[in-house]
Amino acid sequence: MNLRKIGVRALKAATKGILLYVLYFVLSLFLAPVVKIIPTLQQSIEAFVALYLILMVIGDFMAGTIYHYFLGAGKSLFVIFYLILSLKSGVVSATFGSIDLLVDLRLFLVIAMFLSLLGLARSVFQAVNFMNEEASLPEFGL
Amino acid sequence: MLTKQRKHETAVLTENHLIEDVPASQLENRKPMNIPIRAIGIATTVFWAILILFSVSVAYSVKDLQFGFGEPQIGTTLDNKVLVSLPINVTNKGYYNIGLFNVTSVALDEGGFTVAQGSSVVPVIEKDRTVVLFHNLTLDINDLLQRDQNYLFNDTQLTVVECVSMKLAELIPVQASGNISIPWGAPMHNFTLEQPKYLATNLTHIQIAVPLSFENHAVFSFSGNVRIRMYNNAGLLVGSDDTAISVPQNSRYKGSIEFWVMASAISSNGRLEIELQTPFFSYGPQVIAYG
Repeated sequence: MNLRKIGVRALKAATKGILLYVLYFVLSLFLAPVVKIIPTLQQSIEAFVALYLILMVIGDFMAGTIYHYFLGAGKSLFVIFYLILSLKSGVVSATFGSIDLLVDLRLFLVIAMFLSLLGLARSVFQAVNFMNEEASLPEFGL
Repeated sequence: MLTKQRKHETAVLTENHLIEDVPASQLENRKPMNIPIRAIGIATTVFWAILILFSVSVAYSVKDLQFGFGEPQIGTTLDNKVLVSLPINVTNKGYYNIGLFNVTSVALDEGGFTVAQGSSVVPVIEKDRTVVLFHNLTLDINDLLQRDQNYLFNDTQLTVVECVSMKLAELIPVQASGNISIPWGAPMHNFTLEQPKYLATNLTHIQIAVPLSFENHAVFSFSGNVRIRMYNNAGLLVGSDDTAISVPQNSRYKGSIEFWVMASAISSNGRLEIELQTPFFSYGPQVIAYG
């Protein structure tokens, strides 16, 4: 692996990371009214985005290796478990003075988990495919 | 190094280790997982984008939801229950409709007994619309008095559990609930029945006045009928009278019930029985000894 390839990968990973952060920044402006009501939401989303970005950037940096797919699968598992834990199984409650607020996000959680499971399946397929290719190519002298 | 030409026509190792020359399109068929992987990737990306944009826009729409409360109106129902009606304005300037907007109120006394309850539902509040709903709370004072007659005479505090629920974008259920404390004003606060006074006499009868006073602290005015009966020490009815009264809310009633009794039957002591009948509640007979 030469330095040029590593540089290209690093640039690609950094660009994707920056784009995702910009997207998060724009979306967070729209979430500002809800964050005013639930201040802990900001921390929760920030922690999620930070960890997701780290996994994504490292994964993209590892492109072309089996670790890329491992990190992809790890990213999907991270999304599943983080959503389950942070959304408290889908029913989020908060107390403001004498008012109790309860938001039922189970539908959102089910859809998000389904999509994450699809992402996990994709990473597993990609890993199998990658190993298949790796196994086949040397035999053909490729 | 494999050339581009060689990539197009390459050898495939079969299970029997036989080598054949095949075109590149057939080589691609040896990677049958590429298409489903790509399909899953595109589908998940598209659905994630839709889910995130939808969630963010729903959250953003919450700020464009406005609530306003009007002055509570107090009236009566056909079956003589007290009706408290609270106008609520809901303005939905968000991107989505609001489904199943529900306001439920339950008034509880100090012992946790349900004094009154009411629920109002609007099936759909469309976007860019304002809806005014009247949230009605019906209070049956007779039921309340059957539980505890102190509500008639003593001011107290009631706990009202308010619950507002709705479905944001007709999909995401949200519920806000809280307790508020409201004062209960007794309709006959400081009820006082004084000792009978002898006003006048003739050969056969004596005119008696029984001074009566109380304060109406309730949120409603009422009018009704006070019935008084006087019994001598032998338990014989010596006189009775019905007097109409009308008491506006937050006012004091002070009057006396005057009636004639038989002079021959009256004794120095005995008992008075007093009953109050109003459209909202009935009270009595309360027995008071005199003499």
